[in-house]
Parts: sequence; C-alpha cells; structure tokens
Amino acid sequence: MVDLTLNEKRLLVTLAPMGEGSATAVAAALGTTEEAAVQYAHLCADRGLAVVTRTSAKTYTLTPEGAEYREHGLPERQVLDSFEGSISMKDLQAHPLSRIGIGWLRKKGWIAITKGVAEKTGKAAPGADEVALADPKEGMPGIAELLKRNLVEEHEEVAYRIAITPEGRDLVAGGLDLAEETGTLTREQILSGSWRTANLRRYSLSTPPKRIWPGKSHPYQRIIDEVKGILLDMGFVEMQGEIVLSAFWDFDALFQPQDHPAREMQDTFYLDMKEPLPAGFERVRDMHEHGGTTSSTGWGGVWSTEVPQQCVLRTHTTPFSIRYLIDHPEPPVKAFALGRVYRREAIDPTHTPEFEQLEGIVMDEDVSFRHLLGYLKEFYGRMGFENVRFRPGYFPYTEPSVEPEVWVDGLGWVELGGAGIFREEVTAPWGIETPVLAWGLGISRVAMLKLGLKDLRQLYRSDIDWIRECPVIRKEE
Amino acid sequence: MAIISLNYAYLERLTGTDRKTILERLPMIGSDIERTFDDHVDVEFFPDRVDLYSTEGVARAMRGFLGIEEGLPEYPVTPSGISFTVDPALRQIRPYLGSAVIRNVHLDEAGIESLMGLQESLHWAIGRGRRKVAIGVHDLDKVRPPFRYIASPRDRRFVPLDFQDELSMEEILEQHPKGRDYAHLVDAFDRFPLIVDADDNVLSFPPIINGELTKVTTETRNILLDCTGTDPKSVRMAASIICTALAEAGATIESVDIDGTPYPDLSPAERIVSVDACRRLIGIDIDAEEMAALLQKMRFGAEPLPDGQVRVLVPPYRADIMHDWDIFEDVAVAYGFDNIDAALPQTFTTGKEHPIAVVENEVRSILTGLGYLEVMPFTLTSERVLYGQMRREVSPDLLRVSKPISEDQSVVRTDILPLLMEILEINCHRELPQRLFATGDIIRGVKTMQSVAAVSIHPGADFSEAYATMDALCRECGLSPEFVESADPAFIEGRRGDVLVNGKKVGVFGEVHPEVLVAFSLEHPVAALELDLRAVPGYPARPGTP
Repeated sequence: MVDLTLNEKRLLVTLAPMGEGSATAVAAALGTTEEAAVQYAHLCADRGLAVVTRTSAKTYTLTPEGAEYREHGLPERQVLDSFEGSISMKDLQAHPLSRIGIGWLRKKGWIAITKGVAEKTGKAAPGADEVALADPKEGMPGIAELLKRNLVEEHEEVAYRIAITPEGRDLVAGGLDLAEETGTLTREQILSGSWRTANLRRYSLSTPPKRIWPGKSHPYQRIIDEVKGILLDMGFVEMQGEIVLSAFWDFDALFQPQDHPAREMQDTFYLDMKEPLPAGFERVRDMHEHGGTTSSTGWGGVWSTEVPQQCVLRTHTTPFSIRYLIDHPEPPVKAFALGRVYRREAIDPTHTPEFEQLEGIVMDEDVSFRHLLGYLKEFYGRMGFENVRFRPGYFPYTEPSVEPEVWVDGLGWVELGGAGIFREEVTAPWGIETPVLAWGLGISRVAMLKLGLKDLRQLYRSDIDWIRECPVIRKEE
Repeated sequence: MAIISLNYAYLERLTGTDRKTILERLPMIGSDIERTFDDHVDVEFFPDRVDLYSTEGVARAMRGFLGIEEGLPEYPVTPSGISFTVDPALRQIRPYLGSAVIRNVHLDEAGIESLMGLQESLHWAIGRGRRKVAIGVHDLDKVRPPFRYIASPRDRRFVPLDFQDELSMEEILEQHPKGRDYAHLVDAFDRFPLIVDADDNVLSFPPIINGELTKVTTETRNILLDCTGTDPKSVRMAASIICTALAEAGATIESVDIDGTPYPDLSPAERIVSVDACRRLIGIDIDAEEMAALLQKMRFGAEPLPDGQVRVLVPPYRADIMHDWDIFEDVAVAYGFDNIDAALPQTFTTGKEHPIAVVENEVRSILTGLGYLEVMPFTLTSERVLYGQMRREVSPDLLRVSKPISEDQSVVRTDILPLLMEILEINCHRELPQRLFATGDIIRGVKTMQSVAAVSIHPGADFSEAYATMDALCRECGLSPEFVESADPAFIEGRRGDVLVNGKKVGVFGEVHPEVLVAFSLEHPVAALELDLRAVPGYPARPGTP
C-alpha cells in the first residue's frame, strides 16, 4: 500500500474514527467537496481499503396539469361526476374535459356506451393513479401511469456512503505519513537541493497514461512507400505524368479498339476539351486499321481521327509507360509509375472513382515471358506474398497476358493485378523493337489485404481515429 | 466480361470426361470460375475468346487441352440450294449479311436457352450492342426460300416474337422491349432492314426482333441463321461461332447462296510462324515438332516445316488470332504457365525516385515532424466544397468532367485545403486537437501539379499557429519567402497572409473564416495553410519524367 496519494491517506485517517458516514459528512470532516471525497474513496476502494455504496432516491413533483387535477380530480372523474345514471353522448361531449375524459372513462370501464348513450357502470372506485396523485411517492403502483400522462415529474437523487474496511483500519493503525507531497519538481527545488528532502509523489503504473498521438504518414501512404521502395531496390526509375490525357494516349496508343466498351462514356470520365493528335499518329491509325507493317491484321474498319482527340481523366497509368519508352528508346529501361487513376464508378465500399495503380515495365534485349514471370515472382515475394501462381489473362495491349494470383491465408488464391508483354501493335508504331514486359496492380486492393480493411472509402475519407490507431510498424495480417 | 453457365451433364457428355477433371484445368486455359452450383457452374471468359461463350465451345477447347481430341476440328459444309438476296438499298443502313442452314438440330429447353445465351454474349462482345452484328435463328420449315434481305417501309406490319398481334415496325420500336432497347440503331433511317421469305412472310426485323412465325422450339429440326451488321468481319465471325457450336452439338452445316457467294466459309486461315520467334517471346526451349504438338492441343492445325517454321491452320471461330504472338500465347498456355522456368535477367540498372515524389516525401516528413497526421482525400470533388463553402470565387482554371455520376465528384480539385476541411467535418466528434495535412495532385486548367495543405483545429487555433507553421514549413523547404497581407476570403481579414517567392504567390495561410467553419459544421477555430510545391527547390522545372 505504498502508492497511496496524500488525499487517499487523509481520507482513511478521517474515516477511521467515523467508521462509516455519508459522503457529505466525510467531505465536511475532510474539508473538501463531496465529489472529491467520493473520488478518493473510489481509489481506496480499488485497493480494498474502503467501501463506497451508492444509493438513489426518487422523488416526484406535480406538473402544472397534475397540480390542477389534484385539486379538481382527474378529467375522467370530473366528467363522470357531471351527470347521474346515463347521458347522451352529444351532451357528454359538451363537457369541457370530454376530449380527454371520455377516452379514459371507457378505458377504465366506468361507463358503457350503447346507441349514443353513456351509462355509468357503477364501477368507479378511486384508482391507484388517483391515490398516487394525492401524494406521489416512490414505489406507489399508480406512479407509472401518472408519468405516462405527464402529470408528475421524476427526480433522482444519488447519495454515497463511505465505510472503512478492516484492512483500511489496519493501515491507519500502522501509521500513515501525511507530510506534503511534491508533484512537479520545480527549478527552485533542483537548484537549491531541497528535492533531497521533498516527499516526491509516487505514481501508479496501474493508472493508464493519457494517450497521445504522433504526427505520422497515412497507413495507405506507408504501403505505397513500401511498394515504391521495393521497385527502387529492384532498379526501377519512377515515372509521373498528367492526369488529363487525350484518348489517343489513354486508349488508341495502347491498341484499344475505338469501339471497346471501356472507352464508353459510362466507364470513363470524359472532358469537354480536345488535344490535337501527336506526330506519328498515322502509324497508330495503320496499326488499328490493318496491322501496319507487322504480322497483325489490326482491328479492321476505319480509325476515327476525332475520337482520339477527346480528353479524359487517365483511366490507367499505362500511357506513361509508352510515352516513357518513346523518350527512352535505348534498352535497358526499367520504370514504374504509381498514381491515381479514374473510372466512372459510384462510391461504395468496394468502388471509388479514383484509386492508385502501379505500373511497371522492363524493356531489355532478350527478355521474354519467362522473365516477366520472374519479375512478378520477385516483386510479389518482396511484397510478402511468397506463394504466386499464374493464370492466362487478357488485356488488349499485351500478348501473352497473365493474371498473377497470390495465396492469402483465409482467402485462398487472390487475383492481384495483370501482366504481359506489350503487343507489337503497341510498340511498333514508335520504332520500339526490344520486347517490353509490363505489369499493373491496383494498390488499394493490396492495402485492403494488408490493413484488413472492408471499406475502400476509409482510405480516402478516413476516420482519423483509425489513422491514429494504426501503428507505424504493422503486424502482418 | 461474359459469364457463361455450363451445365455439368451436357459439358461432361460433350467433353468426354468428368466435371472434376474439367473444372480443375479450366482456369488454366484462361477463365475464372465465378460460382459452382449443384448442376452447373458459372465461368467468366475473356472478351477476346468469344468461341468459349457456349458449352459446345468450351468442350471443344477442353477436349484438346485435356488430350482427348487434338488438332483442327473439321466442319464440312455442303450447299443447301437455298438462296438469299441483299437489297442494294441497305448499303447505307445495314449492308452485310451472313447466313447458313443448320440441319439435324435437336434442342431441348436447356439447349435453346444455351443458344440464346450464346447469341446475347456475341451481341455484346463482337456485336457491340448489336450495332456491328446481330444474330437471328429461325425454324426453316416454317418458311419458304428463297429469302430476301430488304430495306422495308417503316409501316410494314408483322407479329414480333413473344407478341400475339401485328405491329408496324415503328410501333415495335415504341412498344416492344427489344424495340425500345435498340431503336437508336435504326431510328435515323427512312427504311428499316427486314428479312422475308418467298411468300413475303417476315422472318426478322434486324437488329431489333425476330418474327413470331419462325420461333425456334424443341420441335425445330432445321435452322436458318441470319447475321446482319455494319462490319463484314464481325458478321463472318458471328456466323462461324454459331455454326461451329451447333455442329459440335451434332448438327450439319449447309451453305446459303448470298447473291452468288456461298456462306458460311468455315475453312481455317493459314499462318506460317517462326519457332525461334516463339521461343524468344516465351522463353522456352522447344523445337518445331513440340510447338506443333502444343498448338494441336489448342485445336489448331499445326505442321512443322523444314525451315524452322510451323504452318498453323487457325479454326474459323478464333476471333482473337490477329498476330503471330496470339499463336505464341497459345503455345505458352498449352505448355503450362506453371511449367515455365521463371527467371530474372542479369541486366544492371539503378532505381531512381521521381523528383516530385522526393519533394513530396520531404514535405511529408516536415509536417509529420510538426505533429501533423496525413490524410489522402479524393481529388474529385464539387464546386460547392472547393469554392462555395470556402467563400472563394470559382477559378477559371477549374476542370469539370463532362458527365459526372454525382455532383459531389464533378470537378478536379484546384486546391487541397477544402478537402481537408471536409475531412475535419467527417471527424468533428473525434478528440481535439486535430492536426491534418495532405499532399498530392491538383489540376489547374489541364495541367497536373502538386500542392500541400495543412489544418489545425482546437480551441486555441489561431493566426499565430498558422503563421508559425507556414514559417517552419518554408524554412525546412529551403525557402526564404516574403509574407504579405492576403485577400483570400477563406480567412479572417487581418488574420491571413500570402507567401511570395520572387514576387509570385505560392501559398496562403491564416485563421479560417467563421462562415467557412460553419459551412463545414465546425465548432472550433482552424489554423490553415496551403503551399504550391512547384516553389520548392528540387521540383523539376520541366514536366514529365527526366
């Protein structure tokens, strides 16, 4: 019992001769407020030195309406007393209290109504509600009815009684040091040396500390940083780019046919503006129409020069890749982008109109599909997904295409992104002859797996308590 | 993506093996098993493999993949003697026609449903909503050849499918559910496409609806197929897929003479491909014989040639084969992705973070060091949040999207601060103080740029806190700016400042105006700032990736 505060000790010393008393009396003897006395007593009670008993008493006061009825009787009683034997309903309804009274008369069975005539039943002894109305007290059976009718108001008074336990007495009998305590050590005490004799208050570890919150980056940003770190370690250069792109770069340059469903207004955010076609667009046109100089047949039909000028909010980060390759045509090139992409989706727990996408490319002499699988294994392995398998996939701008799946305990095989080798139809218009391995991945999906989130919106419209509670060093789910 | 329902009993009968074997290997030819039921399974196939949109097509592919029957499936076509003419007036409306006679058909209810499902999937995947191609199947024995595909007056009347009374074609567009769905494809024309027989009976009003007369039932033994459209390649592909699927189910195919040309042509297309090119693309060591064997598993005809090449015969239903690499992918699929020895190349490269990302990271570490918590709000927002609630004038640089789903995501943010105010609103019941920041993309005009904003809400938040924080942020960013009185209406007059670098405004800070607080339902003062990251040393002078 070494860590009692001075206040707790004083309470016990005061209480010992009294044995037991109301909080009011104990507070008076202690020279403090009732609340403080109860607080100290609770702390002593936690250590088994005192007992705090809470009692509550209910009292009732009449509302103005209730006071009126106590004097003149309840409406139903007043209406009943206004006639003898029986009365026509019409006359009864003329009574000023009939609106309230008649309902209760019927409910209580004091009258019976037949063919527009009310007749007394003879059963109209004073009820529990009338007894209670005369002098409302706790425990009366009629009180509930009066509360419901808003004729009385209930007041609760809480009182505490404090008693010392035998353990408390023993402690007081053993003697308690009531010398003044020092809370905060002062500069004066440090310099003068008086700290040596000061009675430094002891603090209890069982009292939890106040929770404070450090400034920190967002849990999702930390996952993004982790992914970026892996790619930087693997020797990739980071790309960035514009959010507003022409459909030419977002779709056509990636060999998306012009009538592809993903290009429709209902899936893509279009903007009311156009961007002229870049130099060299004819080679992309030829590729769409007949495969240009490659072994491809192209999509056939006529390639519109209007459609690709329409601007969109980028639907993926892949356009950065092709533009980066155009600017950096010499192998080896290893580059990645991680940025927001936009799809015309309504917001719900698993869809948001913007989300982060990762995109990685490798252009190198003699790289093949085999190396793409190698990069994917390495990347996912470093992300903590040791078990990776590959399923055939389909993307308009890669061939062969693959959908990597990772094993997640509790979920099984989870599809995580897509990959492939850029089609010749994508690279040939720009004179890129070295194979380009490419893969993409929705990072918000990774975040949901890693953070155990069920609702994507938490990433973007965060409850800051969630951010506060998310530790910087995360236990793997 | 198309989801196809595969009935186990039918699939097992057509494939010639048990469902367990099929389901185990199905994902490895490129599919996603969505859900399994007691009697069927729902499988998603990729939009390029329209030939897998029927149980017959899946069984055909699986027989090869499982080694039950390999190589090119043959589909003999004999002339039916039936002819079809195309009205030249259709040239501007819907010019292309494909057809076939399919005999010896025995469809039960499930078979009819499967055929309708295939039609619908093709309408979506290659028809692009019936525009490029629409498909009709008819009970041939209910009508009399020859058939005519004509441009008809719009008031021609007939009984459309699932109706009892005659309607004019114009009425069909208004009253029939399919008419309403697809009216936009024909509405602009003076005349409508129509298919009639020798007695002028109506078979179909393509691409809208068939006639009730030729409805296919379980009694139907002989089918007349029509595929009409605006793209001859798609018309041909749709006809090939329907014919070969029904042939897999036991039917025989006969050709129809369309203006002198027999249709359909179910012969394979030939491609001569290089074994070496395939080896280099996939990274596997195979010779011409092995490559040919793998392709046969994928139901190609394949024959090794002496000069390191393989002669490949592509079945008529393979819409996805447009380039040699499409064939090489099938080699890899037959080889098995899991059998490919994944490897990393030895090329040396160094990683490098983008300079903008470097600046953003530094700003992050400065603000977290100052006790601020990061949030990552959306970049899509509304004019109301960006300007109205901030008491600010709408910027001429504001970018609006053409067809927003909701007003709340109708513009791209030009500033980040309003989004932080919104996050404070969401968190108004959380413990104070709250100090939040966000950094990221904004758009002014069409240009993407980056900004950082920070807010602090608590009973003591004031101008001094905003000034001190902005001052610390600028110092740590290596800036020595000039601070001058601001006129930004989002802040209280006399408690706001602009940040100037080389005389140019790059930031603003101050105590947020009470009207703004009320607009975001906040009950305590907010100290706030925003800084244009383009002002920070290290931010690249030119856009793009260096």
